[in-house]
This record gives sequence, C-alpha cells and structure tokens, in this order.
Amino acid sequence: MKRVIFWVGVAVLLFVFIFPIAWIFVTSFKGPADIMVPTRLFFKPTLANYIYEFYNMPILRELLNTFIVTVFSTFLVMVVSLPAAYSFARFNTGYGHLLFFTLTTRMFPPAVAAIPFFIFFKNLGLLDTHIGLILLYLYFNMSFATFLLYGFFKEIPEELEHAAMVDGFGRLTILRKIVFPLIMPGAVITTVFCLIFAWNEFFFGYMFTRTVARTVSFGLISHWGSVVVQWGPMAVGVIFTILPTLVAGWFMQRFIVRGLTFGAVKG
Amino acid sequence: MSRHRNKARMETLPTQFLENQTAWEILTSEKYFKWLLLIPLLTILAVFAFYPLFYCLYMSFNEALLVKPPEYIGLTNYRKILHDPNFWTILGRSSSAVIVCVGVEITLGLGIAVFLNREFRGQNIVRGLCLLPLVVSPLAMSLMWKYFLEPQFGIINAMISGVGLPQISFLSTDGLAFATIMSMEIWKWLPFSIFVFLAAIRGMPRDVFEAASVDGAKSWYTFRRLTLPMLRPFIMIVLLLRVMWLIRLSDPLFGTTQGGAGTEVLDWYVYRIAFVRFDLGEGATLAIITLVMTLIIGAILFRQLIKALGTSR
Repeated sequence: MKRVIFWVGVAVLLFVFIFPIAWIFVTSFKGPADIMVPTRLFFKPTLANYIYEFYNMPILRELLNTFIVTVFSTFLVMVVSLPAAYSFARFNTGYGHLLFFTLTTRMFPPAVAAIPFFIFFKNLGLLDTHIGLILLYLYFNMSFATFLLYGFFKEIPEELEHAAMVDGFGRLTILRKIVFPLIMPGAVITTVFCLIFAWNEFFFGYMFTRTVARTVSFGLISHWGSVVVQWGPMAVGVIFTILPTLVAGWFMQRFIVRGLTFGAVKG
Repeated sequence: MSRHRNKARMETLPTQFLENQTAWEILTSEKYFKWLLLIPLLTILAVFAFYPLFYCLYMSFNEALLVKPPEYIGLTNYRKILHDPNFWTILGRSSSAVIVCVGVEITLGLGIAVFLNREFRGQNIVRGLCLLPLVVSPLAMSLMWKYFLEPQFGIINAMISGVGLPQISFLSTDGLAFATIMSMEIWKWLPFSIFVFLAAIRGMPRDVFEAASVDGAKSWYTFRRLTLPMLRPFIMIVLLLRVMWLIRLSDPLFGTTQGGAGTEVLDWYVYRIAFVRFDLGEGATLAIITLVMTLIIGAILFRQLIKALGTSR
C-alpha cells in the first residue's frame, strides 16, 4: 500500500513537471487545424512548422549567435569569478561587504541598467554585436557565479592548504594541486548554471540586438505578431530554445546525484 | 581551536624572512594575493555596477524625457513616485509574489525532497526528469503556458470543459492572471529547491540518523530535530536567491499578459516608465527606490545566510 502511494506520488510529480514540456513537442508536429483542437490525440504529424521555421525565420543564425555569446560569456565569468570567489572564501576579503556588493549587481532592475549601457554601447559601437552581448552576460552572471563558487570554496577545508603551506608549497602549487582538483565539481556545476542562464536570458538580448546578433529568445517573441500568434512555428522555436538546456540539465543532474558535490570533502 | 593556531602561524611565518623577499613572494603573500585575485572582478564591477548606479542616481534628480536635455529638479521625482497610488499597488503585488512563491517553493520543495530521498528503481531518471522545468527559458515557458491556457483552444481549458466546467480566461481575468503567473513561476522554480534540499539531505552524515532510529526516534521528530537544523544553510540559500530573483520578476510577463490584467510588477513598471513613456528620470528614481528596498532585504537575508553557513561548519 505504501509503495502504491509512493508511485502515485512519483507519477503526479512527473506529470506536473514533464507533461507541459512533452506537450509542446507534440504540438510542434501539428498542422494549423490540429493546433486549434488540443484534444485531438491522433493527428497527422507534419513537419510544416519545422520547414517554415528553418526557411522563413533566421533561427539557425539565432541559435549560432546565442551559442557564441553563451559560451564566451560563461568562459569570461569563470575567469573572473573563480579567483574572486577563492579570495572571498579563503581570505574573507572585504569582510563580506565586497561579496555582498557583488551580489547587488543582480538587484538592479535590468530595465534601468539597460539605459546607461545602451548609451555607453552606442558610443562604442557595441550595439547588436556579439561582444556587447558577451559583456552584458558577463555582468549578468558574474554575481551568481561568484556566490555559488564562494559556497563551494568554503567547503574545502582550510587545513589542507595550511598543511601544504607548512610543507613548503607555494601558493600556485597549492592552487594547482589541492584547490583546483577539489573545486572541479563545483566549478563544473557553476559553469553549467552560467551556460543555462546566459542561454535563457531574454531582456538584454531583446534590447541590445536587432539583426546581426539577435538571440533565440528574440526570435521567439517575434512570432507574436500584432494580430495573430504563429503557434506552430513558435512551438518549434520553443523546442530549439529549451532543447540545449534540457540536455545540459540532464548532465548537471547526474553530477549532483552522483554525490560529486561537497559531501565527500566536508568531513 | 586548531584553526586559530594555524592562522597565527601563517601570519607570522612570512615576516620572519621579510628582508630577502622577491617581488613574487610579496605578490603571493596573503596581504596582496587576496586582492590580486580580485582585480578582474573589481574591474568589471567598476564598469558595470558603478557606472549604471551613478548614472541612475544622477538621472533621478533630473527631469529627463529623452526629447530634451535633462534638467535638475531635486527630489520631485521621488515625491512623484511616493505619491503615486500605482506604485504602492504594484509594490504590494510584487511583495505578495515574493512571499507566496518563496513560501510554496520551500515547503513543497522540502516535502518532495524528503519524499524522493529513498532508493527506488529508476530513481535517477525520475529525479532527472523532475529537474527539467528549472532549465527551461522563462520566456519560452511563458509562451508555452500561454498556448496551454488559451480559453478557446488551450489544453487546460479542454480538460476543464471535459469535466463539464465553464471556460476560464486564465491570463485576462484580473486577479486570476497574477495567480497564474505565480503558478508558472512556481512550476519553473520548484525543482530548484527540490534539488538543493535533496542534495543536502543526501550529503548528511548517515550515522546520526542511524543513531536516532536506534534510539527509537519518530520520523517526524528526526526531521524536525536533525534534518531541518542541518538544512538551515540550504534553506537560507534558496530563500536569498529566490527573493532576489522574484523581486526582479518580469520575463514571464513578456510572453503572457505584457503587464495587463492586473499583473504589472515592479520591473515591468520600471520598463514601462523608461521605455514606453520614455521618462528616464522617473524610471531611474523607481530603480533607485527598488534597489534600496532590495538592498535592505538582501542584507538581512545575507547576514542570516553567513551565520547559518558558519554554524554548519
């Protein structure tokens, strides 16, 4: 009896979380007539929406743009955040105030931060460019990455480093041989988070790009015309927007569930 | 105790050899090394955090309407916003979103994490699938739900009329529309708290729980007295991050109501003032006001988090 209740619970959970995502996949194969009749479970699948999306919409270009911006900005975030988080965690630099200030960058309404950036970028010719968007996403993700890595660094016992220091190792050797291997799982998780956040970011992409560097999210909202919404092609757009992050999410889940997080190091 | 002794030793060690230090040794001494590591971050902060902040502070004291050069008007913008009944309604709405969403996410998240914390067949697949909404783009999510919730041809309304109930316009009814947005937000972020709490519970030392069960402790007692206190830092992490993000809630509105049907929240109001009315002065003022409020809430939560992290070590 207890087992039955448990499995019913699992089924409800899976239904709530997975059904909407599965349903949009199904919808993408529906023709215009079937889209208006959601209850029709048996319909003639069609690739019309995919063909429309790839021939009439710049989705390939948008995907490539988003990919470039996501990867480069995440790389820069790690370059900036890893040393900073280590400094905060190990030396308590700024006594927490500086770490807090870093966090505050995400407390600013993006709509308002966008105004000075817009003027700034216009003067530098960075509007609608990949570099401009990479810089914006660096700003966007930096605080969260630093915060997350701060937690992971905190989990590494200081004693390990002190012991190595007493044994006469230099700072860089300690970083390379002790800190780096121990922070790897945390760094991977943070990287995945940054990739996902940057990929999913909408507002800056919407405000700062037009044609050259426009992102998938921008492409998605462009299906929403003033009169009608192109539901079919939009479903295709949604799928291509969420597919990479779904794959990344699956990958992240394995990392966490396998206990490669701090648990083992903590004791 | 031993940590303090180590620290003392570390600080006294380099000074003994102060005379024959190379430049590299000075740079890697604790005093300079910690700042050396922060140089990239501080550079980015200077450009991307200070600049917009001071720009907004400056603009908030000006009448800036884009069409003409800004003109100094003192605190008029602040007075205008604080006397704006819209502002207080929207502030209340944003606060209710924060309280409702965070409350539901943490309680449900805890419950589901405890529920899933057992060995069963296909456990990794179930956990992995439950995690997926978390990674869905907020905009894609909102467009997806807009389609599901359509009164005429949405799947949800099809289900409702299947049971014989009348159609519901989820996203165009005042009050209901905002509840719908909050539900979407909870759907997306519930996995976040589930996965943080589950990872935390799995990382807890087993022997304590074994000892408790040997002593005949009831599972509710174990949860309250062992699991919950050990989860404290993790609850604080979820609380801090979710409160910060929920105050900045706006992406789901782009794909659904666009601020209509009583769903306007703080960030949407800022966006509307600055980009639809092109009133940069008032937009900047509203930004400063919300920033100050967020800072106060953030500082309180942050202090609690540091405390919780400290006690867990």
